[in-house]
Amino acid sequence: MTEAIRLTDTDPRFVDEIKEAGGENILMCYQCGTCTSSCPVREIDERYDPLKIMRMAVLGMKKEVLSSDIIWLCSRCYACHEHCPQGVGITEVLHAITNIAEREGKEGNIKIKSLKPRLDGVFNDLIRKYGRLFEIKFFVHLVLLSKGATGLLSSAPDGFVMFRKGKLRLLPQKIKGMKQIGRIFKIVEANKK
Amino acid sequence: MKFAYYPGCYLHGSAVEYDMSTRAVCRKLGIELIELDDWNCCGAVEARDSLSIPLSARNLALAEKEGLDIVAPCSVCFHKLSKANKMVKEDEKFRKKINETIDGQYQGRVGVRHLLDIIVNDVGLERISKGVKAPLEGVNAVPYYGCLIVRPSEIAKFDDPEDPQSLDDLIKATGAECLPYSHKVSCCGGGLLANKEDFALEMAKKIIDGAKEGGSNCIVVTCPLCHTMLDFQQSNIESRYGITIDLPALYFTQLLGLALGLGVKELGLDKNMVAPMKLLESICIE
Repeated sequence: MTEAIRLTDTDPRFVDEIKEAGGENILMCYQCGTCTSSCPVREIDERYDPLKIMRMAVLGMKKEVLSSDIIWLCSRCYACHEHCPQGVGITEVLHAITNIAEREGKEGNIKIKSLKPRLDGVFNDLIRKYGRLFEIKFFVHLVLLSKGATGLLSSAPDGFVMFRKGKLRLLPQKIKGMKQIGRIFKIVEANKK
Repeated sequence: MKFAYYPGCYLHGSAVEYDMSTRAVCRKLGIELIELDDWNCCGAVEARDSLSIPLSARNLALAEKEGLDIVAPCSVCFHKLSKANKMVKEDEKFRKKINETIDGQYQGRVGVRHLLDIIVNDVGLERISKGVKAPLEGVNAVPYYGCLIVRPSEIAKFDDPEDPQSLDDLIKATGAECLPYSHKVSCCGGGLLANKEDFALEMAKKIIDGAKEGGSNCIVVTCPLCHTMLDFQQSNIESRYGITIDLPALYFTQLLGLALGLGVKELGLDKNMVAPMKLLESICIE
């Protein structure tokens, strides 16, 4: 059964928040649905509907949008972005929405079930530490987070084949310009607050 | 022809065969690659723009000091570096802010190019055809471009975002058959692999199914993330769906290298997870 959307429960400032977080053109959307028909994730799961996310966001349904698992399923292929007749920049709008979700999650206002922010965090931490990706450490964390210890065990044979083929470095490559990398992280994080 | 070579993290690790074949093919074609000294990660699909733009800008500043344009064989790096470049070039205030962040002085003088663009448009198909020592008759390839090498088109720029042709033309120049393929610019699902594996594998399977339906014996790729999905994850797709695929995925540099007469080892063809040995036998290479 469809429930009525009560505008008194919505947050009219949500659109401005999205604009500020990188989704400047969200209000250009005139709901034509080209994004949804272009989306390869939608092809697999009907719940993932960029058009619907746009509409809910414009209506100010902040809580519903941010607490939805769906917003983390964008594969960042830019098909919707390319096809959008209004230049909404849907990939960037969705990115802005997940940025806000992440911030609200950190502040304890919402609970994020998706692993995506944690996985990205692991990646960023490795760049912060070495300046380049230390793949083996990333893979191990990734598998542990998504599949647990048994998952790691069952990935071991693949890891061994990769090592034998010379595709896995056992030591990280730390760059010389770590002072610059540290500065970048420090400034970017200070700007987030 | 001289470029600052930005291999990116994967080409220094799990995509080492792309690095090897890139270097070998460029040597053969007279493209001089100077690896960008002390390059850092571009931020890939994981870092947000707020972080990946300054990270990428540091690399642009390094290339500017060398007075060279950047060549990136990885489509994700190509996208991230190009996006950062576009943003700092178009907005002086933003450039100032980014220079402050990276403690640098990037003036916006560097170009960022994908390796495929340089090979097809700078070296040119005529020179490549002349350099072909062993026409790859027997290879029925599909050209798989993926996403970020063509989209968003205002960033990627060098080919058509809906029906690109550069890889098609290159495959034809090697003497291989280039089959019509409706999944040229579909998404491989790589960006979802860690977060939503079942979706990612289904997306990759569609790309493989499309190739097999057309009677292809080889899928040609231009990005290490696509290669992960189509090569490394192929056994995972096979066991999940209870099917046999056995379709080699070659980097375009590996295919081109074979046609130019380069060796299997030199091109890292022994490092692909799906062994392309049957394919190589069909073109009489052991």
